[in-house]
Amino acid sequence: MASFRYAFRDTFRLLFRHWGLSLLTLLTAASVLYILGFASLFAMNMRYMISRIEGALVVQAYMKRGETAEQALELVRSSPLVLSVRAISPEEALERLRAKLGNQAQAVTLLGENPLPWSLEIQVQRAEHITPLVRDLMVLPSIEEVLYAGKLVERLATISRASSAVSGIILMLTLLISTLVIFNTIRIAIYSRKEEIEVMLLIGATSTYISLPFVIQGMLLGAGGAILAIFGLWSTYSSAIEAIRSTLAFVDIIDNRRILAQFYVFLFAAGATTGWMCSWLAVHRFTSQSMRSR
Amino acid sequence: MDIRLSGITKVFEPDIVALEDIYLSVDSGEFLYLVGTTGSGKTTLLRLISREYLPTRGQITVGDRNLRKLRSSELPYYRREVGVVFQDFKLLPNLTVFENVAFVLEAMGIPPKLVESRSNEVIDQVGLWRRRFLKPPQLSGGEQQRVAIARAMANSPAVFLADEPTGNLDLRTSEEIMRLLLSINASGTTVIVATHDQYLVDAYRQRLVELHNGRLKRDERRGRYFVDGEL
Repeated sequence: MASFRYAFRDTFRLLFRHWGLSLLTLLTAASVLYILGFASLFAMNMRYMISRIEGALVVQAYMKRGETAEQALELVRSSPLVLSVRAISPEEALERLRAKLGNQAQAVTLLGENPLPWSLEIQVQRAEHITPLVRDLMVLPSIEEVLYAGKLVERLATISRASSAVSGIILMLTLLISTLVIFNTIRIAIYSRKEEIEVMLLIGATSTYISLPFVIQGMLLGAGGAILAIFGLWSTYSSAIEAIRSTLAFVDIIDNRRILAQFYVFLFAAGATTGWMCSWLAVHRFTSQSMRSR
Repeated sequence: MDIRLSGITKVFEPDIVALEDIYLSVDSGEFLYLVGTTGSGKTTLLRLISREYLPTRGQITVGDRNLRKLRSSELPYYRREVGVVFQDFKLLPNLTVFENVAFVLEAMGIPPKLVESRSNEVIDQVGLWRRRFLKPPQLSGGEQQRVAIARAMANSPAVFLADEPTGNLDLRTSEEIMRLLLSINASGTTVIVATHDQYLVDAYRQRLVELHNGRLKRDERRGRYFVDGEL
């Protein structure tokens, strides 16, 4: 218990005795976490926009006359790529036609017997899932025709894949840069206390006792940097939402408070964890080297 | 706590032999001077005992611990039993005398009240009570040496190693420090003092081990003499 008390006291000593370095670490952490958060928000919005478009994509499969939709429905339901499927009976299709024709609905009676076949309305999870699904449907003998926005689907699938790859790379890079920058800043802080740590090791301090204040310091600076980054992101993002709404009303961007709150909590946790991990690695490396007898 | 060195050789890269084939036994509660010219291997020997260095050949046992087999997780607990006064003091300049002494005890997880009382006790013992809130740069060389001694004795170690504790000090201060070391030894602690201060060695006669070019040259023990490998 006393060790924890000393560790917290030493953490605050560290923070305030080397306040310039602490401030530098805090601002560095805030900057890199802001970039990380910005890249993540960009990636999330790209994914969101694409998924909105993808969600609106519907594949329509028409059965041959006299065929029911049972066989096709079974195949579609068993596919993991499918989000939802609905079978449309010839009667329902006729009703829809009537509704579409409005005051010219009487014209339908001229058709005599209902000529419309059974059909399926299928929604897939992602645009890239459409082409393999269509291929599977086309081989069924009961299927007459499958309608879908072919070129659009292919382009959307390409954009979706590219955006996932680009945002993944951006996230990995920013995460790597954040980790390296925080790790090195904390390493400088540790080297500024090199003499003190060496004396502590010589008089019998355990590496845990030595590491604890640095680890708490790293965690506090990481968390503090994350809070600053969250404030920055929150104000930037709020302004961006306002600007986009007033100029590009058709663009869908994430403004769900719950999703954004979860994202900010995640960023805070990422900051604290990165700070903790980087400082632990830096101090562990240093103490291991110092403890090694020559 | 007794110390046994058997066949100790220490070679530094690339090929500097600091100690060669040293056999030495120090009984528990014994006081020993380690003498020899600069570069004779005194500091290396102390650093081997404090496990800062590992021997190139040979075995060192302190109490029931074989230092070569000591795991890194056991090292801090071993070092708590060995108080070391470093040649360059190794005091922390940002901390006061009190804090320099207290932080040894804090590192052991001792509760704050006990840390305070024990630190004050040893600071008083070394005669620095009135200077306990000063920082090392505000102290004289002799006072800094006494802080280093206070820090090394704070956790009542079983073995006390002092590397040139009177180096660059005036005679009066050197004598004060010697008396302090003898009082530590009087409480049953094994004390090894590396020095080349012949006056003190003669004035406060104790067992004497002389090193020369990394070899044991003389071991004067209770009237028996071991010179250049022969009794």
